[in-house]
Order: sequence, then structure tokens, then C-alpha cells
Amino acid sequence: MRIRWLCLLLCWSAISLAESATQEVYQVLRQDASGYAAVTPHRTFNFPADHSPHPDYRIEWWYITANLTDPEGKPWGIQWTLFRQSLTPKPILNGWESNQMWMAHAALSTPNGYFPAQRFARGGIGQASVEAQPFAAWLDDWAWQSHSANPFPSILKFTVADWELTFELNSDKPWVLQGDQGYNQKSAGNQASYYYSQPHISITGTATRQGKSTPLTGTAWLDREWSSQPLAPNQQGWDWFSLHFKDGYALMVYQLRHTDGKHWLSGSWITPAGISQTLKAEDIVLTPQTSQTIEVLKQGQPLRLTLPLAWTLELPKLNKRWQISTPYPQQWMAAQFPYWEGVVEVDGGKNGMGYMELTGY
Amino acid sequence: MSMLLLSLKALLSHYWRYPWQALFLLVGLCAGVGLWSAVQVINSHARASYEQANQVLGTQAHFWIRAANGTGVSTQDYTALRRLGFREVYPVVQGIITTATNQRIPLIATDPIVLPAEVLQTNTSTVAFNDLAFIQPPYQAWFPPDLANELNLTANTRVLLKNGQTLPPAILQTQAQQGRQVLLDIAPALKALQRSTLSYLAVTPLSSERQTQLEQALPPHLRLIPNRQSLDLTQLTQSLHTQLTAMSLLSFAVGLFIVFNAVRFSLWYRRPTLRTLRLIGVSVQTLMLAIGLETVIWSIVGSSLGLLIGYGLSQILLPAMSASLQSLYGANIGSHIILQPTTVLLAWLLTLGGLIIALALPLWQQLRLPVLPSHSLSTYWLTDQRTRRYLLLAAIGLSILALVLYPLISTLIQGFILLGIVLLAGAWALPSLLALSLTLLERLLPKHSFQGRWLIRDGWAQLPALRTAMMALLLALTANLGVEALVGSFRTALSDWLEQRLSSDLYVQGSSSFDLATLRANPSTATWLKAVNERTQVTLRYQDQPLVLRGLDHSAPDTQELGITQALPQTINLWRNLDTQQNWVLANEQLHFLGSKQIGEKLELQTPQGLKPFTIAAFVHDYGNPYYQLYIPNRVLKTYWPQPEPWNISLWLNNPSDLPKAEQALLNAGAKAGDWTVQQTIKAASMKIFERTFAMTAAINSLTLWVAGIALLAALMAILQERLPEFAQWRALGVNTREQWLVMSVPLLLWASITWLVALPLGALLSWLLIHKLNVMAFGWSMPLLWSMRPAGVLALMTLGVIAITLVVVAWQLKRQLPQTLARLGGQL
Repeated sequence: MRIRWLCLLLCWSAISLAESATQEVYQVLRQDASGYAAVTPHRTFNFPADHSPHPDYRIEWWYITANLTDPEGKPWGIQWTLFRQSLTPKPILNGWESNQMWMAHAALSTPNGYFPAQRFARGGIGQASVEAQPFAAWLDDWAWQSHSANPFPSILKFTVADWELTFELNSDKPWVLQGDQGYNQKSAGNQASYYYSQPHISITGTATRQGKSTPLTGTAWLDREWSSQPLAPNQQGWDWFSLHFKDGYALMVYQLRHTDGKHWLSGSWITPAGISQTLKAEDIVLTPQTSQTIEVLKQGQPLRLTLPLAWTLELPKLNKRWQISTPYPQQWMAAQFPYWEGVVEVDGGKNGMGYMELTGY
Repeated sequence: MSMLLLSLKALLSHYWRYPWQALFLLVGLCAGVGLWSAVQVINSHARASYEQANQVLGTQAHFWIRAANGTGVSTQDYTALRRLGFREVYPVVQGIITTATNQRIPLIATDPIVLPAEVLQTNTSTVAFNDLAFIQPPYQAWFPPDLANELNLTANTRVLLKNGQTLPPAILQTQAQQGRQVLLDIAPALKALQRSTLSYLAVTPLSSERQTQLEQALPPHLRLIPNRQSLDLTQLTQSLHTQLTAMSLLSFAVGLFIVFNAVRFSLWYRRPTLRTLRLIGVSVQTLMLAIGLETVIWSIVGSSLGLLIGYGLSQILLPAMSASLQSLYGANIGSHIILQPTTVLLAWLLTLGGLIIALALPLWQQLRLPVLPSHSLSTYWLTDQRTRRYLLLAAIGLSILALVLYPLISTLIQGFILLGIVLLAGAWALPSLLALSLTLLERLLPKHSFQGRWLIRDGWAQLPALRTAMMALLLALTANLGVEALVGSFRTALSDWLEQRLSSDLYVQGSSSFDLATLRANPSTATWLKAVNERTQVTLRYQDQPLVLRGLDHSAPDTQELGITQALPQTINLWRNLDTQQNWVLANEQLHFLGSKQIGEKLELQTPQGLKPFTIAAFVHDYGNPYYQLYIPNRVLKTYWPQPEPWNISLWLNNPSDLPKAEQALLNAGAKAGDWTVQQTIKAASMKIFERTFAMTAAINSLTLWVAGIALLAALMAILQERLPEFAQWRALGVNTREQWLVMSVPLLLWASITWLVALPLGALLSWLLIHKLNVMAFGWSMPLLWSMRPAGVLALMTLGVIAITLVVVAWQLKRQLPQTLARLGGQL
């Protein structure tokens, strides 16, 4: 599960500059979902139709992260995310009066710096959307475009700062339905989402800046998730990991931090062939190791923030134990609602690479 | 040093004893500075607003993308550009909506989500939108305060429109760049305007490389146009601002007359002080320095108070001004007024300059007097006679100068200088005329009448004190008469012209979905439709200014009746007969007066097929149009510009009672309620625009008259103070109240009448200059001068009123102070 709920709040806070209290913003995600479609168990997923928007649900996203390597073997990373939100329950899909709001986040992590960007658009006028035939997801010129209804093979093109990025994405592995056949429960209460992933995407492309191109190659991860009421009142934020191991296995783990310290843990262990095994709270031991203080911008204000940038992750039943750390501590998405998201190494890069997201700090 | 301070203290102590003198001095300063600075504040504020005119909601629009045929930009074209990565582009919808109560409101809308607030690493934003309420139902309509006041709007009211739509709930606020227009999100704006296309796309600054990329990316039906709005507005409105500045300088001059009087009296009163100071050994230099310091103090106090008053006044006058600018030039003026440091400094320097001028002559006269008292009254009288002579000579000199200058003036500023010279000449000749009137009266009165002789002699004694006040009164009366004649003539000319121009019964907006062909195809149309004029337009630039080509139906009734000012008979027929050999055009007078074009002259215009010549067949009246405009038969226009922008369609009915039938037919032909306007509404709206434009001038004008009234009151009060001991002696000698009043009021009434009489020809001259010279140079339109005696009569009554008030105040003062003075007189005896 990828709970980038916080990011979605940007849809609200983008034009809500007066809004600064985090709790206030969280409240939006805890709003009553009445009027919107409810997330219930035993849904049958239907591909490629489910790659398209589900406007009856309040929020939804298409979330790509990728671990890349340059010719010198140094780690790079990209994040490309498209968020949709229905501002009111009954979806209005076309025209300027559409109640569909779109937001996109993109970031490039390089050995020489981190470059984030954020964009907004309203739905209904063609400035941003996700279309099924052929599959295309875009906001302005940030575009992910396939030739068929299947999202792979496809081209991902976007710009951040003065970088121009173009990648080819490919995958022939089955879709991974997270949680209980795609029904992803997030609390003991009603909070849940529909959630599927493609953890095995091969990616190649170039990052071009001032006429100089760097070829990049690696593994990408796509998450698709939609919901109407994603967050419980006592959940403060989350720590989320997607890891690619050298042996071809992949792992997704998250914890929703509860105010009482009894965090909600979940995850999945995915074989190189794309067969997944759901991990329950008792299967996961996630322990923060060292904290690091970094300089960040929050609502435009510079401040020093201490974040748990190194972790120990154990799966006792599978007899696995890894050290997670980041080579680039400065991967702060200084969007209007900010969070840390970026490249991490498994055991110093010896056993794999991945992406980590820390929110609510 | 201590001597200087002591002298200053001694000089200033006078105002403690005679606080009313301090008051009048202040009134003069405040009146002058106040009116002048009010206009300055408004002008500089308006100019600053033009600078911001190329901004929408604080975002610089350096370019516009517009449809080549003027029809608007489709949402698809907009999003196509965004998807190509042109994030410098954002959508704007602008239009005018008509409320159910027939008020026309300008409206602007954009998509706040894409306003280019650079995304990450910045905390700057262009607009502080409170929440998503702005972009989702029921939406919000942001009204600037003056517009809300005009419509009597309260927060959350929904304005009902003529087309049956309602605006979103009103939010009353001040948005720096919002101007005098309602701000909305695009969705409700399109709905309110019943449109489907965007007016234009605004574009933020582009590098030349980026500009080329954008130009190449544009489809053929869209054009990238540099936003020259602020430059154009500055040029177009210059005349209006110059006119207002001139009016305010006139007020300043009137204020200066009061100051002149007040300073003179205060020095006159302080003769004993000055004498004592000199007797105890204070040098003339020290005294002059002390008076200089006093002047500086007064200038600071006066200009500060004046600026405060000016600021307040500008707040009152701004709504009328911004409404005018919006209607005439489409300029949006924000409602935040800021007093600029340059205005403050200039106000102070003007005040100081004025005070020094007012002070120089009396001070020079005063300090030239011998230290020991002599026959001061006769000296004073002799001085006055000499001054009168100098003034008359100067007036004659100025009149000659004005005659010499008249044929040479070519700019508005030169025109106002000429006007100033004429006014000053009139004012300076007045004291001699007043003296002459007294001499004539003396001849007319029976020689043996003791009272008559006394009256005349006393008049001579009052003249030096009253002449300055009369000069101020003359200036104010003349300016009033002149401006009244200008406004009156203009109102008549405009009304007649509108009568000709707006002869049709219905006007359908060009942007309407109304289809004329559908209407004509309906057989029942012929039963009510008498004639049609379909107007189109093409906007070009000529002589680096906007030029509008108006396409007309050459046979329509109003085309036949265009208010022609100059034409060669055969050429106008050629124009009507669609002679395409020559490309005859009719041009508005603005092109003649401001663009210096003559009948028969050729204009080279940029057409899609390259430069083509067009020949001016005639000039026509075109009041209120800030642009150059050419009238071309549609058929000729379309040979060069195949797709002109639709402007409007006029419909004439066979019978006024056919109106409901016609309106139903319009609906059937695709028009929506609110797309058409009936003639009376347009005419009323046009008249309102001009009433507003001249309301500002009229307001400044009547304030000037009040200032002159105060000058008169101040002068009389000063005379009263001066002559109280004399009046007491009269009483002691047995003069009764009636006799005393006769002596006091007859010369006053005589001179006020003379001043009023002199103001009549001078006012006529002024209005003649205003209409035939300045107005033509300022706006480029001509009109006949209509002189009416009614304003002159009103002004005579007003002057009498001012004199009556003054006399009442003087009587009250006399009653209060006479016993005391009598007692003092008794004590002296």
C-alpha cells in the first residue's frame, strides 16, 4: 500500500495558503466519505479498465518510482506521481465546471542533488487526465504514454528544474494485488483502499541537462490506489518502503503511525515472477536506527527537521533482516505539503535498492 | 541667532492674537494644495494602474494569444499548448454582463490553479485564495468595493443577470490588480456570459528563443501579440490627465490668491511689531530671515494639511474617475490609493513657492517703508494705485502675448498655458476696471450728496483690500462659466450625435450565437424587420496606436446618417457606392485632429495581402472613442480581411410595438436573453459615461468657486478687523447702522457685479478656447459652442449668496466687537 494521502492534501492546500496547521489538513482525509463510493472487500479487478480513473472515489493515484544507475554505477532515482481528487461526491467529468482536480509531483535524485517539482490542473478540460485507449496519463507536458491499453511498454517524459527526462518502461509480469486481493485495510476501522502494484518494471532512458545527456537504467515500481476515506483519526503519518533486491525479489512494507504507539503494519513479499505473499503486522519488525537532521522547507519556511533516515527491517518468518539507509539525505519534496521521499540502499547497496517515504514529521 | 528666534517668536505671536488670520492663511493653503494634490494623487494612481494593466491578478502578461478573427480561443487550443509544455500560458475570460436592472458590469476570470506561481522552493503566491470555494460550486464572485457600493451589494448576495443567469455569491474585497471588475473562476464566468470560448490566453515573459518556439507551436488561427496595453493606456489617457492637472492648478492659483491676501493682511497688522523690532535694533536681514522661517513653517503646516485633505478628496473623486476610465479606455483602476513621496515633495515646494510669491511683494513694500510712522494710509493708497497700474500694464502685455501665441500652439500643455495667460490677464486687468467703475459711479452720483461722496471715498479705501479677493472671484467665475459652457455644449452635441448614431431599435452583441441568416430566412421576419446593419471590426496599429476598422452595411439607415464633419460630396457618394478602385474610407475626427490626416489623404494599412492604400473620403464625429477608427463598407472590408471580428448587429423595427415579436424571433435565431440591448439602454449608458467623466471636472470646478467665496470672506473679515476702530469712531460721530451698511456693502456689491460682468466675456472666451482648441487637441473631437445665460444667472445668485453670508458674518463680528472697540476708543480719548 502506498499511502501518499498527505500529498493529496495538496489538492486542497494548493490554493489554501492560509492553511498551515498540519492537523487541519489531515482532517480533510478523515472527512466522512458519504456520497462517495465505498471501499469494500472482494472486489474483482478488471484490467486494463482499472488503470483508468475511478471518479466515484474521492482520491486516486498513479505512482511511479525508479532506482536507476548511471554509467559510473552511481545511484539515481525518479519519482513521478499523478493524483486525482473528486472535490465533491457526484463526479462531473467534462468542462470547466468539472469537480476533478489533478496534482502531479516529480523529482529527480542525482549524485549531485535532488530536484523536485509540483503541478496542478483541473479536470474536464484536457489539461490533465488518464485515458484508457491507448493508456495515457498526463498533466501539461508531464506525460506517461503507452501505445495500447496496457501501461507497458510506454514512454515517460517530464521535466524538473532544467532537466529533461525521457524513459522507456517495460514489464511483462502479472499485476500484484496488495492486501486481501487488492482490498487494502488501513486501520481496525473502515479505512481502506483498493491497491495494486507492478513492482517489476525495467526502465531505461536519459536525463538531459544543458545539452548533456546521462544514460540511466534500472528498475521501476508502479502503485495504483484509490479510496474515499483513507485515514483514521489517530493516524499521524507513515513510513513506507518499496525495495528491489539483487536476487529479483521485491518487498513493500509500510507502517501507519498511531498516536498510542501501536502502529498499523502491512506489506507484501513478491517473487521475481510476480507472485506475492501478503505480510501481516506480526510478520514485520520495522525499527528506526539513526536519525539525521536536515535543512528543509515547510510551507516555504526553512527549518531543521530530524528524520529517521536509517532503519532495520526484519521479516522473522522468512528469516530476513536488512539495513535500510539513504545515500542522499536531502530528498525532501518541498511541495506545498512536504514530505521526504527518495532513494534508499539495502545493506549499503549490496543487496538491493529501493524508495522510502516518510510523512507526518 | 537668539535675535532671529526672538523676532520669529514676536512675529508668530501675532497669530495667537488673531487666530482667524492663521485660519484664513491655512484655508488658502489647504484649498490650493488640497485640490491640486487630490488630482495629483488620482493621476499618479491611474498611471500606476496602467502600468499594472498588463497584469492579471498580479501576474505579468507580456503577451496575449488571441484568435486571428477575434472570436476567442478554444479550451482545446489552450490545453494543447499546455500539453506542449507552454506553462507560461494561462486562460483569461473577459466580458461585460448586464444585470437584471440593466447595469453593465465588467467581468474577468481566470483559472487560479494555473496562475504561474512558481511551484517549489517558493512561498510567493499571486492570490490569497481562501479555499476551493472559488473554483467549485456555488463559486465566488469577487467584487471590488466601489462596484459593490454602486450595486448596493452585500456579502453573499447573488446578482441576477438579464440573461436569467445568476452570478456566484458576492465576496466583497480589494484585490490590488482586480480593478473595477468582478473576478470569477472561468467556469461560472463562461456560464454568466453564456460563452464557450476563452477571451485570450495571457503569457508571462518569454525569452526570444521561447517566443519563437511558442509562435511556431501556435495553430494558424491564433496569434501571439505583445501586450502593449499599459503603453497604449498611458498615451490615450494623457489628455484627460493633463486636463485634470490644469483644473487643479487653477484651484491652486485661486488658493494662492487667498494666501496672498492673508499674508498681506498679516504683514499689515504686524506693522507695529515690525517697526518696534526694527527700532530695538533688529536688522532688515534678520527680519527677512525670520519672515522666511515663518514662511517655511507655514508651508510645512499648509502642505501637510492640504495633502491630508487632498488624500481624502481623492478617495471621494476616485470612483467617478475610475468608472470613466473603465468606460472610455477600458482601463482598470485599483482602489488602493497611495500618497507618493514625489507628490508630497511637490506639494510642499508648490506651497513654499506660492507663499514666497505671495509674500515677496508685500514684504518688499513693507520693508521699504520708513521706520518711523508717516501718513501710512495715504502711502498705502498711493502704493495701491501704482500696483493697479502695473497690473493693468502686465494684463495688456499678457493679452498681446496671448494673441501672438494663439496661432502657434499645437500641444495640450501649450493650450493650457495660453488659457492661463488669458485668465491671468483678465484677473490683473480687474483692479483697474473696479477703480474705473468707482470713478464712473462717482460721476453719476449727485455732487452735493454727502453720503454719496463718503461712500465713494470709502470705496477707494476698501479697494486695495478687496481687489485680490475680487481677482480670485473672477478666476473662479470665469472657470465655472467656461467649463459649464463646455459641458453643456458637449452634452448637447453628444446627445444629438447619439440620436443619429443609435437610431436602430435593437442591438445584438457580436459574440452572440445569434444567426442573422436564420432570422432572414424566416418569412415572418419581413413583417417587423425594417432594416439591418451588421457591423464587424478589424484591429490594427497605425502611427503606433490602435486603429479600428469598422465594417458597416453601407445602405443601413444609420450609415446614411453618419455625423459627417468634412467631406467632398462626390467622394462620400463613391464611398456609398462601394468604389473599390480607391478603397474609400470614412475616418473619425480623431484621425484628423490627433493623427493630422486630411480629406483625400491615403493611409497605408497592413492587410493579409500586404500594405494597401485607403483614401479618406470624409471625417465623422466619433465622441468618446479613444482610438483612431475607419468606417468601411463590409463588402470592401471583406475583400481584404475575409474574417473580420463580428461587432454587433443593429435591427430597425417597422413599428415599436413589434418589439416582443422581434425579441422572440431573436431567441428563435439562436440569441440568448441578454445578448441584445434596446436602444434606450445603450443611450442612457453612453450618457452616463460622459456625465461621470465631466462630474470630476464639475466637482473640482465648484470647489474652486467655494474657495473663491472663502477668499472673499477672508478679505472682508480682514477689512473689518482693520477698520473696527474707524467704525467705532463713526458710531461715536453718530453714523447709524443703515448708513454704515450702505457704505460697506455698496462698493462690495458694485465690484461683485463688475467682476461677474467681466467673467461673462472672459468665460465665453475660455469656453471657446476649451472647445475649439483644447478639447480638439485633448480628445480629437469637435463640437459647436453653445452659450447659455442660465449658468451665468446661477453664478450671479451664488456670488450674491457668498456676499450675503460674508456680510452676515461681518455684521455678527461687528456687533460682538464694536462695544469693546468703542470702550477702547473712549479710553484713548
